[in-house]
Amino acid sequence: MEENSGIPINDNDCLKLEPKSKACPRPKPGEAAGGCAFDGAQITLLPISDAAHLVHGPAACIANSWESRGSHSSGPRLSAYGFGTSLSEQDIIFGAEKKLTRSIEYIAERFKPPAIFVYSTCVTALIGEDLDTVCADVSARLGISVIPVNSPGFVGSKNLGNRLAGESLIQYVIGRTEPERISAYDINLIGEYNIAGEMWDIERLLNRVGISIMSRITGDGRFNEIGHAHRAKVNMVVCSRALLGLAKRMEQTYHIPYFEGSFYGAKETSYSLRQMAYLLNDRDLERRVDRLIKREEARLAIELRPYRQILKGKKAVLYTGGVKSWSVISALKELGIKVVGVGTNKSTAEDINRIEDRVGEDVDYIAEGGAKSIIKAVKDRKADLMIAGGRNMYVALKEQIPFVDINQERHTAYAGYDGLLRLAKQITFAINHPVWEMVERPAPWDVGGDR
Amino acid sequence: MTVKHTMKPVSVNPLKIGPSLGSVLALQGCYRGMAILHGSQGCSAFSKSLLTRHFRDTIAVQTSALQEMDVIFDTDRNLEEALNTVITKHHPDIIGVIGTELTDVAGSDYPSFVKKYTRERGVKNCLIIPVILPDFSGSLESGYNAMVEGILDAVIQEEGCKAPTKQIYSQVNLLPGSFLTAGDIAELKEMISDFGFEVITIPDISTSLSGHLLTGFSPLTRGGVPLDSIRQSLRSSYTIAVGSSMERPARRLQNAVGIPYKVFHGMSGLRATDELLLFLQQLSGASVPQRYRWQRENLLDSMLDAHFHYAGSSAVVALEPDHLMSVGSWLGEMGVEIKALIGSCETALIRETEQEVWVGDLDDAENLGNGADIWVSNCHGRQGAKRIGASFLSAGFPITDELGSYMSVSVGYKGAMNWVNKVGNLLIRREEARNESRLC
Repeated sequence: MEENSGIPINDNDCLKLEPKSKACPRPKPGEAAGGCAFDGAQITLLPISDAAHLVHGPAACIANSWESRGSHSSGPRLSAYGFGTSLSEQDIIFGAEKKLTRSIEYIAERFKPPAIFVYSTCVTALIGEDLDTVCADVSARLGISVIPVNSPGFVGSKNLGNRLAGESLIQYVIGRTEPERISAYDINLIGEYNIAGEMWDIERLLNRVGISIMSRITGDGRFNEIGHAHRAKVNMVVCSRALLGLAKRMEQTYHIPYFEGSFYGAKETSYSLRQMAYLLNDRDLERRVDRLIKREEARLAIELRPYRQILKGKKAVLYTGGVKSWSVISALKELGIKVVGVGTNKSTAEDINRIEDRVGEDVDYIAEGGAKSIIKAVKDRKADLMIAGGRNMYVALKEQIPFVDINQERHTAYAGYDGLLRLAKQITFAINHPVWEMVERPAPWDVGGDR
Repeated sequence: MTVKHTMKPVSVNPLKIGPSLGSVLALQGCYRGMAILHGSQGCSAFSKSLLTRHFRDTIAVQTSALQEMDVIFDTDRNLEEALNTVITKHHPDIIGVIGTELTDVAGSDYPSFVKKYTRERGVKNCLIIPVILPDFSGSLESGYNAMVEGILDAVIQEEGCKAPTKQIYSQVNLLPGSFLTAGDIAELKEMISDFGFEVITIPDISTSLSGHLLTGFSPLTRGGVPLDSIRQSLRSSYTIAVGSSMERPARRLQNAVGIPYKVFHGMSGLRATDELLLFLQQLSGASVPQRYRWQRENLLDSMLDAHFHYAGSSAVVALEPDHLMSVGSWLGEMGVEIKALIGSCETALIRETEQEVWVGDLDDAENLGNGADIWVSNCHGRQGAKRIGASFLSAGFPITDELGSYMSVSVGYKGAMNWVNKVGNLLIRREEARNESRLC
């Protein structure tokens, strides 16, 4: 896929380091679902909230996509601005590199951001706009970072876009600035996007044992801070498939060990904390982590008790991608919920192995088919609940299936110990809501007659 | 010539929505329909997600999933595969093949391909409508109109461009503009049928995107105007178009099969509703039903009640062109000073109007609307309204952060009263805030 994408990937080793999954299959016209590579690149980079994000392309690419993600910022809001070059017919015929240059200058002058990310799109890739040169020129002239993101929609899936965005971070951001102070307990979070403020919960936990986050890649991230990433002692990859390559590259270049983990569920959270302490190689820290885990798990057990009683034995179908397809299973198991169906269309072979480890034999794998197949699984297995992304929410509601949103547009944070409690509450609420009784209530005039 | 543009090289907080999304929206108002966006899979994923979040309902759209090599070698192959899959798997009655900027720049001639496909495959019981939409020249409104025109054109072609032998006098067509909500369309249909008419609405999102509890998942649209009714529309005695941009499809019907039409530029406020009801009375010969006489009184009374609070207030409005002018004229009825009217793109209506209209983005609204009490736009305007301290009123598309906006009614006397009170209440809250700030 990458070979014919036309995107310069100078380092061939990088390709070998990608997860051992099949090459991205060609999406099937007429039944493809999911976003494009441009979407993926934005998901990864937009959370860098003090940078400007400029889309070089037709109006629709920016107009239909901005302000659509649940990533939160604790400070700057510049990334909430939608910037686009909105190409005209003239631009397309005669080239738009001058317009792009003027656009970058305008944003730099008016908003004074530390960096501007410039995204290519299908159209600008097709007419051969030279983003790299334009960005390098303006960057040298203005003295701010102007970073090309070569991830036009038509090169592939959202996932490839995540990876290409990681490529831009490696090439242009990481290692470019030095932190004021470093400690032996600095880590990076990679692939955590602070959806619904989840990162804040995680950060509080880490701070309690004395671990600090050097770079947030990229949830609630700041541009300069991401430049410091090479000084961290450990990388944790939170969303396995998308940015694993980035962690592997950093291991090679900066000798930073990494591990893949998740914060969904108490078990996974505890594992991640222990793994972090182990890689930071500090006995004292390990003891602190153990104490924290013991305390938190004990507290959680008490608080979860009433929910576990309600949720025990309930059946759920899970339809999400990547890390969440296995990590959420863990969380659900802790609540006593049995996962009877799992979507695997966005999971790697490795993800699927992990799913198998966690669910055992008695589960339906939904590899493709979209909404129709998920509903079939729910009906066949008599599931009580569907857990998926917002895309499938209304499909579930129409079928009167209780639903919990797990993807990037959701409003509730599920990471960490408190997150598991929130998830338990949310699921209980979804299953027990009186609305299910109301919608089943026939209109009184329909009762007892065929009319 | 009162159209103004700001001189910015870059669009900041765009107001514009891709025209292809407008086409997808129009197709949602046709029963058992499926839109195929001819572009990269992101083109359909973004449209689907945005429409889903606005309407809080499933949206029928698929993609030809073009990848780089397809664009360079052969886009038709993907379209063929997409059509095959959609037709054999779901058996839709109507398919819209909607171009994107990508197919436009790649120069693919998909209308010809669709013709060839329909002929060679002997596609029966399914109308396939190609729509060409250059992204740079329009917005949601133009994409929506193009699809409506395409649909009418296709049924006119089917009939061999002849006027049908028998006209049905009691039947009229309603062509609702893209800015009307599902609730608006339901209200308009009711008003027209109250004069004894059968109404065929093309497209009709009031029966597809208004919310329903039908079970049995289908990727096709679950409501909207059936293809048979669209065919029947050629026998109607009159066409009522709402929104200036709907004049083109209405004129197409007149030119091809001789149905006279009337265009209502807007549908907000007293004067616009008066105009519609007077017209319906003349067309039908029936007198205006009592309920509308009551509603008119109610509206006038609410305007009297509210006018104190409107005194000295000002507004900035940023919407799609037809909607912009419609809301602008209603604000005029309430004596609101217009700080600026900002449209998403330039249309004939905007060029011909006497008022000063800007074509720009929500950042322009922020600059031009400085000091305004009320900000009217889609939900993307919320951040700008906050920055300039204006009270925000959502209108247009998308509105993803409020419930039920797709059912809110702004047309007719009832709709006007709705708005008089909604905006009036925002102004009352502002008075309170002003008074409080004087105290401390």
